Amino acid sequence: MAGVTAKMTWHGTHFMCRRCLNEDQSKFTSFQCAQCETTCAYCRNCLKMGRVSRCSELLIWTGQAPIYPTEHRMNWQGNLTPAQQKATNELLDSTKQSISHLLYAVCGSGKTEMLFKPIHHLLNEGKRVCLAAPRVDVILELLPRLKIAFPDTVIEALYGGAEVERFDAQLILATTHQLYRFQEAFDAVFVDEADAFPYTADETLQQAVRKAAKANAPIHFVTATPSAQLLAMNKKNGNISILARRYHGKPLPEPRNETLWNYEKQIKKKRIPKKLLNWTKERLDKQQPFLIFFHQIELMELAEPLFQQLDDRICAVHAEHADRKERVQLLRKKEVPGLLTTTILERGITIPNVQVAVIGAEQKIFNKGALIQIGGRVGRSVPNTSGDFVLFHQGITNAMDEAKQEIRKLNKQGDPLL
Amino acid sequence: MNSCLLCEKPLDDQPTWQQFLGIEKQTSTCPVCLAKFERIDSITKNDQLGSIYSLYAYNEQAREYLHQFKFLQDIALAYVFASDLRSVLIDPKKIIVPIPMHPASKKRRTFAQVDALLEAAGIPFQELLQKTTESVMGEKTRSERLAIIELFTASADIISNEKIYVLVDDIYTTGTTMHHAAHTLKQAGAERVEAVTLFRATGKK
Ligand SMILES: [Zn+2]
Ligand SMILES: [Zn+2]
Ligand SMILES: [Zn+2]
Repeated sequence: MAGVTAKMTWHGTHFMCRRCLNEDQSKFTSFQCAQCETTCAYCRNCLKMGRVSRCSELLIWTGQAPIYPTEHRMNWQGNLTPAQQKATNELLDSTKQSISHLLYAVCGSGKTEMLFKPIHHLLNEGKRVCLAAPRVDVILELLPRLKIAFPDTVIEALYGGAEVERFDAQLILATTHQLYRFQEAFDAVFVDEADAFPYTADETLQQAVRKAAKANAPIHFVTATPSAQLLAMNKKNGNISILARRYHGKPLPEPRNETLWNYEKQIKKKRIPKKLLNWTKERLDKQQPFLIFFHQIELMELAEPLFQQLDDRICAVHAEHADRKERVQLLRKKEVPGLLTTTILERGITIPNVQVAVIGAEQKIFNKGALIQIGGRVGRSVPNTSGDFVLFHQGITNAMDEAKQEIRKLNKQGDPLL
Repeated sequence: MNSCLLCEKPLDDQPTWQQFLGIEKQTSTCPVCLAKFERIDSITKNDQLGSIYSLYAYNEQAREYLHQFKFLQDIALAYVFASDLRSVLIDPKKIIVPIPMHPASKKRRTFAQVDALLEAAGIPFQELLQKTTESVMGEKTRSERLAIIELFTASADIISNEKIYVLVDDIYTTGTTMHHAAHTLKQAGAERVEAVTLFRATGKK
């Protein structure tokens, strides 16, 4: 089967990638091919996995799935709150009925634990399960927890650059991009962090999830910030559980807006804007760990030396930094007082008593979901169940308003303990 | 929407009046990605070549670029340096000669990278050289490299001698390829031969 197929339409040739199902025509490049000696085309959407073109054969993992064992130990004695218990049972019911389920759970509500029971049920039926997440971080964070929870089960993690031995493992953890490798392979797929920042909705990825699952397999979504589309889809054809309270039962911190004019200009002139300077000094004085979010790496790197004049241990991290994880650990251990960052960092990690500021909250990249995720860092653990969550901005956007409303709404829903 | 060829981030493609008037081509690469390339404009010469001009250093970004372009066969990346190459190579006094690939290697890669760079830039060129061997220079020791007598053959005799022949390659490393190509062109009758490469590996062995 050719990797890229073409059909003629009124508007000209319409390409489709058989591997990643991309149909965005801007992601195909046509060229005079020396291999097939015609005008050929290839897909740039999944290029990193090796190029597929009109004249290349597509390789998909089609090996016969083995008969999987039906006895799996679950090594997990954690306690679920009544609300978590209810959600996990609802998810289990949907799984048994093969109905898609949306687990809408606020940041810090202990989402992973709620998946254990349904996954265990599937494994014991000899079924093949995939847990997909948009980013490698999340996969690497989940892998050890699942290996502990299911000590007898063959588990394999697939992400860019991973050494894969067991493509046929019964429980597969995969970045959403790796799902392109599978076709009708899974009896159930759980998509974690379905609206993760900086991951934005990508239709081809959703199709890849659909393609990787067997025809009637349920596809479950787990997220703290479901898109309107995802909510509507599950209202219509699926089930929804909402966990509006964190496991400690305290409300989510609401963001507070503060104007910060010309912050870019000031930072370029090697000055930390006054309000931001005071905010940072206050954190240092009170010895509260902090995270400062920037919309752009360049601006953050300009700001880094300025913050280091306040405390030389302050440093910047972004998604591409190799020692990102170590730096986050240093913040947890209070060996650095605060970090500047352009990324949400390890989602599962709780930094006790962390305070959060967003610089340039009006920037497009800080959409509603991103802001809710960022705020979700604050107040995750006892006894520091709240903290400052400040949005420094040059004009309030709809996204900022909507994030605040959503957090209020959830806090209200969570009030009469579920 | 237009996005950067290298990082996929959407480009601020507010059309400028320069683009509107066709003076400036639309960009394909974002300034952040472009800034990671290190412009060197290095010029050297040797007994065969009147000048060897390299635009950029072979740094990490260049390595990744060539990997994606050649190894992942992403021919779209030929557009990244289109305007740079145009400003250097469009000259009526010059005849542009790409360093060729062996037909078998070209078939395997599905395109010849130097031809692709020139085509993307809209630079006319003449395929005056042919490669005689499939082997790659990097795999050989220095004595082996020098021992190969003819790496290229010229497909035609050179008549118009008032022109400057400019050899183009993606990267200049040991200089052996360029040396052989220039030698062959001169044997065929060219008087002045120069070279332009996109990248230059500094810190030679
Ligand atoms: Zn594709
Ligand atoms: Zn082809
Ligand atoms: Zn870019």
